[in-house]
Amino acid sequence: MLDSGKLLLAVKDLRTYFFTEEGIAKAVDGVDFEVYEGETLGIVGESACGKSVTAFSIMKLLDYPGKTVGGEVIFKGENLLEKSEEEMRRIRGKEIAMIFQEPMTALNPILTVGFQISEALMAHFKMSKEEARDRSIELLKKVGIPLPEQRVNEYPYQLSGGMRQRVMIAMALSCDPSLLIADEPTTALDVTIQAQILDLMRSLLQGFKGALIMITHDLGVIAEIADRIAVMYAGKVVEYTDKRTIFYYPLHPYTFGLLTSIPRLDLELPRLNAIPGVVPDPLHFPAGCKFNPRCRFVTERCKEEEPSLVKVEEGHSVRCWNVERVSKEAKEGLLVGEV
Amino acid sequence: MLSYIIRRLLLLPIILLGVTFLIFCLFSLLSPMERLATYVHDPATLKNPQSVQRLIDKYHLDDPFPLGYINWIKRIIHFDLGWSQTANQPVWEAITQRFPATLELVLYSIIPVVLVGIWLGVISAVHHNDMLDQTIRVTAIVGWSLPTFIFGLLILFIFYGILEWFPPGRLSTWAQNILYTSPDFRSYTHLITIDALLNGNIPMFLDALRHLIAPILTLSYISWAELLRITRSSMLDTLRKDYIRTARAKGVDEHTVIHLHARKNALIPVVTVAGMQIIGMLGGVVITETIFNYPGLGFWVASSAQQLDYSSVISFALLFATLMVLGNLIVDISYALIDPRVRLE
Repeated sequence: MLDSGKLLLAVKDLRTYFFTEEGIAKAVDGVDFEVYEGETLGIVGESACGKSVTAFSIMKLLDYPGKTVGGEVIFKGENLLEKSEEEMRRIRGKEIAMIFQEPMTALNPILTVGFQISEALMAHFKMSKEEARDRSIELLKKVGIPLPEQRVNEYPYQLSGGMRQRVMIAMALSCDPSLLIADEPTTALDVTIQAQILDLMRSLLQGFKGALIMITHDLGVIAEIADRIAVMYAGKVVEYTDKRTIFYYPLHPYTFGLLTSIPRLDLELPRLNAIPGVVPDPLHFPAGCKFNPRCRFVTERCKEEEPSLVKVEEGHSVRCWNVERVSKEAKEGLLVGEV
Repeated sequence: MLSYIIRRLLLLPIILLGVTFLIFCLFSLLSPMERLATYVHDPATLKNPQSVQRLIDKYHLDDPFPLGYINWIKRIIHFDLGWSQTANQPVWEAITQRFPATLELVLYSIIPVVLVGIWLGVISAVHHNDMLDQTIRVTAIVGWSLPTFIFGLLILFIFYGILEWFPPGRLSTWAQNILYTSPDFRSYTHLITIDALLNGNIPMFLDALRHLIAPILTLSYISWAELLRITRSSMLDTLRKDYIRTARAKGVDEHTVIHLHARKNALIPVVTVAGMQIIGMLGGVVITETIFNYPGLGFWVASSAQQLDYSSVISFALLFATLMVLGNLIVDISYALIDPRVRLE
């Protein structure tokens, strides 16, 4: 049902390491997912699990000392990892655009918002300054900024956080990209503004023919917007399936843990469960399954041997040795809510 | 913005008062007899206590401190900065006569300071940690750790002593003759290079330039090295900013990313340092001019200091402090031109 669109992006076994002085930090170490035209993929996980690095690896915008050391990023049939910097420049902004987490720091403080939106238009479509400016005003109007003719000449410091994020969205949509990557677009905003921005994104998606990758740590956001979900932990995709399956039939202990750690109106959980421990330091990952020190279902095998991402049924892959046990408990714990 | 400038200008006299007070304090540490030494031409006078006392009275050397200071301030307000023993003319005249030479030196030194400092700083940051960056950094470290008097002597030794390319002084004798005696030569600005061009005298222009190169090298090295250091670190810092990644994510070409998005932001802290460095060069001229026998303010004030000619030294300090405060004001105003966030406040 979901696979109706054409395959737009396929990330295969992506590995991005940071070569620091203390050692090699494997920030992304085996990420696989696909994005089809017209669908929204949610990438969910705790802070520092490699979500953003995955996005930057796709865009080839990694900062030193980060380097993609393996895997493939097939976009419209071509491997982006083999593209030159100049070829990538023509793809960025035009084919793949990005919305960043911090609207406060992601806009250049000394350039007007109008210029910052115009720039992509001038770079990719060779528009004149005036044309690009007119188009910028239209875009500002589209993302719901009042008085766009006036705002277009203002500097980021004159706008509120929510406004700046709207500007970021206008900027990302300016060239009508086929793929939009939103990296925690609502995290830095307060709750009411978060809701407004999500509403805006949803309404813009209605007329948007391309695909969206939504990166977030917020399962609520994912539930609202995503079609398919990749759960990441310690640089790896641990579970990958559609939204309904994730929320009601999770097979990975981490996904299950996340779901029972948030309050849900459709379930009567006796109490919220916290996942014990913290995300491991990417310089000192545990042996075996990276989740084993925090896992309720841990066995001896988990500590020695790392599971690989296995397709358990059509459209559902998971990286765990104890799928049956998790499945059984999850059914008891979560299925009550499904109507 | 305007009220800010006015407020800053009102502060100027107070700062100057503080500066003169400090300098006057230093001179008061000397006894009247010691200060008298400046005014004595004939050692025989010192043998006669009466004539010594007469001289002390004449120059008000044993006035109580506050009185001496107040009298001095009064005279300054009327542009009477006293008599320069070293120059053998009134201080004000001595300053106005020597200022163009120093100004010419400092103005030309701004070019390497700003261009080389900022330009190399940006290049160094963009090529972070590779060979080019390392070479530039080593050059800069040498620049700001080598004292001017050593570097200046090295330059003098190599380019005059061995190669004989850049002679000391301000002009060769033949050019001086034209400058001081030729009825056709008109001084418009008292900056010799410019006057020579205005008079259409190219050989004289080249001669003046030849004399300027070595002092410029010496004077500017420490300043551009410092500016390079600041530009490099500011630029490195800016290149890691989120908005640089945003610009790249838009598909803007690398040249625009570096020179528009990064450099403009990186220059904000650099402007302060550049302003200070340029004004600081006025202080740097003391050593440079002495080494190269360059007849400017610095050369004069250095000999004044040696001869305890305090009216000259204190006037130079006053001039330097005024320029420093005005320079800082210009720096603050130029902030507003770069950074829109400052404009409305």
